[in-house]
Amino acid sequence: MELITDTNYQYYQGSQLFLGENIAGQKLQCTFDIVLNDAIDSVANYVVEIRPQNDANYSLYTGSNYSLTGYNEITIAGAIPTTTSIRVRAIQKAIWNNYGGYEYVKLSEVISNFMTAYVGSDKLISNARRTDVIFHAKRGLQEFSYDTLKSVKSQELTIPHSLSLPIPQDYVNYVQLSWVDKAGVKHIIYPANNLTSNPTPIIQDDKGLPAQGNYGENIESAQSFTTERWSSENVRNLNGQLDFDEASAYVYGFDWWKLFYGQRYGLDPQISQKNGWFTINERTGSFNFSSDLRNHLLILDYISDGLGYDEDTKVPKMAEDAMYSHIMYSLLSIKPGVPEYIVQRYKKDRSAKLRNAKIRLSNIKLDAFTQVMRGKSKWIKH
Amino acid sequence: MAINVNEVYTTVLFILNKEQRGYMTPQEFNSIATQVQLEIFDKYFEDLNLFLRQRNNSNEYADRVKTVEEKISIFERQADITNFDLNQLERFYKLGSVTYKRSSNNPFGPEYPITLEEVTQGEFDLINRSPLTRPSKTFPLFTIKNNVISVSPMIAEITVNYLQRPKNVRWGYIIGSVGQFEYDATTYDPPVYPPNTVPPGPAAGSTDFEISPVDKTDLILKILQYAGVVIRDPQIFQTAGALIQQDEASEKT
Repeated sequence: MELITDTNYQYYQGSQLFLGENIAGQKLQCTFDIVLNDAIDSVANYVVEIRPQNDANYSLYTGSNYSLTGYNEITIAGAIPTTTSIRVRAIQKAIWNNYGGYEYVKLSEVISNFMTAYVGSDKLISNARRTDVIFHAKRGLQEFSYDTLKSVKSQELTIPHSLSLPIPQDYVNYVQLSWVDKAGVKHIIYPANNLTSNPTPIIQDDKGLPAQGNYGENIESAQSFTTERWSSENVRNLNGQLDFDEASAYVYGFDWWKLFYGQRYGLDPQISQKNGWFTINERTGSFNFSSDLRNHLLILDYISDGLGYDEDTKVPKMAEDAMYSHIMYSLLSIKPGVPEYIVQRYKKDRSAKLRNAKIRLSNIKLDAFTQVMRGKSKWIKH
Repeated sequence: MAINVNEVYTTVLFILNKEQRGYMTPQEFNSIATQVQLEIFDKYFEDLNLFLRQRNNSNEYADRVKTVEEKISIFERQADITNFDLNQLERFYKLGSVTYKRSSNNPFGPEYPITLEEVTQGEFDLINRSPLTRPSKTFPLFTIKNNVISVSPMIAEITVNYLQRPKNVRWGYIIGSVGQFEYDATTYDPPVYPPNTVPPGPAAGSTDFEISPVDKTDLILKILQYAGVVIRDPQIFQTAGALIQQDEASEKT
């Protein structure tokens, strides 16, 4: 049985066509993969459009109310003539979410597949609670998200005057922070490390003792002096950058100041860069940036754990087998009475498949690889 | 295909009456037959458990697991329920899998059935505490108390696979012209049959054994064993007992 159920039209257009039946309460059962929903506090992820017989284009249907009355089933209150064509169209974001969906398998499907193929009499795991399988699958997805799966979360933001941005809702760790110049090229922003930090500012009395509030707790100041000073510091004083406002990433530049390359001895490479710094303030849950990044365009690449949102709970097909092995090993390793050699076999199996998934997802293509190596003056045949 | 009650009764009487040992009335036979049928039915589950742990073969007729599963399948039923009360299912015996799917009562349900996992109330409380395992529409759970199912999260209609207990066996008869018992093959189905008229009389209408015909020998031997107790003949009891043991030994080793 084929795995693709959408027609080409449904996939590329995110739409499905119907004909009016001239009856009130006509039901439109959509069969495409996009899951339609009437969002409660937002707009629905679909619209209903109509095209009367002599019209060339579809227009938004406003003749009566319509809503979802079942899974992808829309009921239209009014009657639409039989000569009118109806189009249910998903909104652009839903269509984008659906594009490339074949690359993934849903976590719920992974769990069902595992229960079908790996659990049962005459198998190594004769019985397992589905709840346990769900737990290990979700934990596996979390672990895979941290270091195996592709980092697909990215936000484009502008660094405000306050130099502070809240950590994204589904953030687990950052991959890279970079600012974008006029050419659209990214410049990596580095963590401040030892340069500065975000301490909790405690208010003290005359004797230097922390002052307490009405409930006996230490009083904290809203803003620390360290952060304040860092925000107002001219970073050129730190990185030794000459006073030129170079904002592009032109690789070949023959401006005269570049002739200084290699001539400024004694610099600490850690801080000798002009892309700016960031810190993570755990107290306020935000990224803080150095003052030279004010109003810059920022790209925040980060990883989540794959469980934040429903559309995230999916596994790349390249890592599907690794996920089965992970669940298998996790179940066997905590099951009493399983011989240790079996446990070890699956430990190795999991490790090998995870490594394989990592290599696959690294997307190392031979032509791209040779191109990189050409730059290193290496001669690679291909 | 059921086992004809008259065939069993006549066979039992034939063996019992040999050498004028004794006689078994229809009432005695009906009680014992019902009891034996239940015993054999109960044994299916233990047998299946045993065979699943043994090395098996995939021969089309000698596969023990398949044979027992076929015997059990006679009693398998499926029902869509909205009140979740298993006591209301006719002759409910054992609960199998519970699923839910899209239907008029579950308009937003999944296209393909999703299985609900059974947990105890204690397990449910634990599972609910972990955000990773908390029940969802994709992975729902249920607990069962006093044969009433509680589902989490809320689902309007579920489909239950369950086993029905076999019907009580009945060798029905009508009184013949000389007062003899004449077997009545009409299906016992009160209040349609027997009607409140004489004839055919209240003892009319029969119910066959529902268990698999494969177990006919076992059935007759076990009835004979009980019959040995009824007619106080230790020889019948011992002979039947020995034959049953012999049969068990050949089936399960």
